[in-house]
Amino acid sequence: MSAATRRRLREFRAPDEVGAENRTWRVIRSAYLDRRTAPVRRPRWRLAVAPVLAVLVAALVLSPAGASVRRLITQALGEKHAAPALFSLPSPGRILVAGPGGTWTAAADGSTRRLGPWPQASWSPHGRFVAVASPDQLAAVDPHGTIRWELARPGVSDPRWYLPSGYRVAYLSAGTLRVVAGDGTGDRLLATGVARVAPAWRPGQPDGPYQLAYVTAGGRVVVRDAGGGRIVWSASPGMRPQELMWSADGRRLLVLSARQARIYSANGARVSTLALPRGDTATDAALSPDGRKLALVLGGREVAVAGARAPAPTIRQVLAGPGVRAVSWSPDGRWLLVSWPAANQWVFVRVAGVPRVAAVSRIAQQFSSGGGRGFPQIEGWCCTARGQAG
Amino acid sequence: MPAAAERLAVTGELGRACRPRSEQALIRGAMAGSEADLEALFRRFWPRAYRAAFLIVHDHAAAEDIAQEAFLAAIRRLDRFDRRRRFGPWLGAIVANRAIDWARARAARRETLDEGADPASPPEVPAGRYSQEVLTALASLSPEHRAVIVMRYLLEYSPSEIARALEARLKEVER
Repeated sequence: MSAATRRRLREFRAPDEVGAENRTWRVIRSAYLDRRTAPVRRPRWRLAVAPVLAVLVAALVLSPAGASVRRLITQALGEKHAAPALFSLPSPGRILVAGPGGTWTAAADGSTRRLGPWPQASWSPHGRFVAVASPDQLAAVDPHGTIRWELARPGVSDPRWYLPSGYRVAYLSAGTLRVVAGDGTGDRLLATGVARVAPAWRPGQPDGPYQLAYVTAGGRVVVRDAGGGRIVWSASPGMRPQELMWSADGRRLLVLSARQARIYSANGARVSTLALPRGDTATDAALSPDGRKLALVLGGREVAVAGARAPAPTIRQVLAGPGVRAVSWSPDGRWLLVSWPAANQWVFVRVAGVPRVAAVSRIAQQFSSGGGRGFPQIEGWCCTARGQAG
Repeated sequence: MPAAAERLAVTGELGRACRPRSEQALIRGAMAGSEADLEALFRRFWPRAYRAAFLIVHDHAAAEDIAQEAFLAAIRRLDRFDRRRRFGPWLGAIVANRAIDWARARAARRETLDEGADPASPPEVPAGRYSQEVLTALASLSPEHRAVIVMRYLLEYSPSEIARALEARLKEVER
């Protein structure tokens, strides 16, 4: 290598060094502070839960091999503290659930309705319809379960309605991304080589432009114009994305990976990165309806809330319990619904105003049918659908 | 190097000394909980880490991710860091290995994705003062060989340090 080339190499400057340095420093600082002082701020109500969890932990540690974790958890925390059935929701709206027992809705008064056998579902923007999916079929049903239209496709999953109009539905089918009009017409391929991560529509005007974020098989995030097929922007978030969420105003896209949550602006510039505390992994997340807060399930053992707009947000723990799975915001942004399959419970946690917790047990039994029974997935608390903060 | 951290690093708290604090002193301070020392350490090593990653992967967003991840890994392992070692080569080895992994993965994706579906169209590259000639020269090399050049002439590793950091990979390449 010539002396001149070596000199050029030493004098080399990469693009946007200062910007990259400052962005990264915020992330590093946040990780360092988390390492130095693990999240400590805990709501007062947790004091009441702590002894129960201590009993639970002791029970788990002392349990004989083969003992049922679920039995231990329900003994320590379960039925005597939780309502035996869903009598009402703590906040207005309707909850959509889907799983082995099919697709169900739960109304504010606690009444439930089974819409059909589909294992996946998604609210339309105003809760007038539900897009449902089985491995070989996509369909739209009304709140009574009547099928309005259906399509036969292989490997169907993760249907998502366009906000705010519902004029388009995006879904995955055997490694491809497809889009169909809200009335079931015009189904077409939008992209191939797509990862099994639910796509997310960028909220916009009722008649478009229809911009859709998705993840490629290589782990890249792409925002594509679903009308013309043009790629608007793409980015490599470093770690493999597992969830995409737009803020309700369509100005921010949150990309959740196991170890971090990264926020991009609508034109693809990185706004901030939330690095998780050391050793933690995020297994689920949800943006609040106003896009200001991010609820996270960490390591399947705790639920925490972080500011979604601060450059280096702090993480506040709101619930701890082994085996928590998913989290969803109420439409008014005041409550979190946490699904806890290990305890066969839903836990409602009020995160605005005075902290409060309400648990409901026997969830699997309440959303089962003759053909299937199992703990269901929360698909949205209308009208805040998963994948979009509505 | 901006900010109070650098002032502290250069002048000391009382403004007594004018020489930069040693790498070992910054690491000791960071391990003891000094955010200022951590920032000084970060500011000292970031530019080369980012440049090294960029020269290997030729993608500024990926380079930022790689260098960031390397620093995060370093922070997480700070408690276990052997203070007799030099921080720079340790960090550089993490960066180089991650960058090689990334470049290889990208090459594999190009082979498996059909042309119409390849979304690898990064947004515009932010302005920077870099030599296209250097990038072009490196582009003809494998990621492993780019890493060797970068480690030798940018990070100023000794040949034996490069060998230790990339030993397994170079053997793999030779096969």
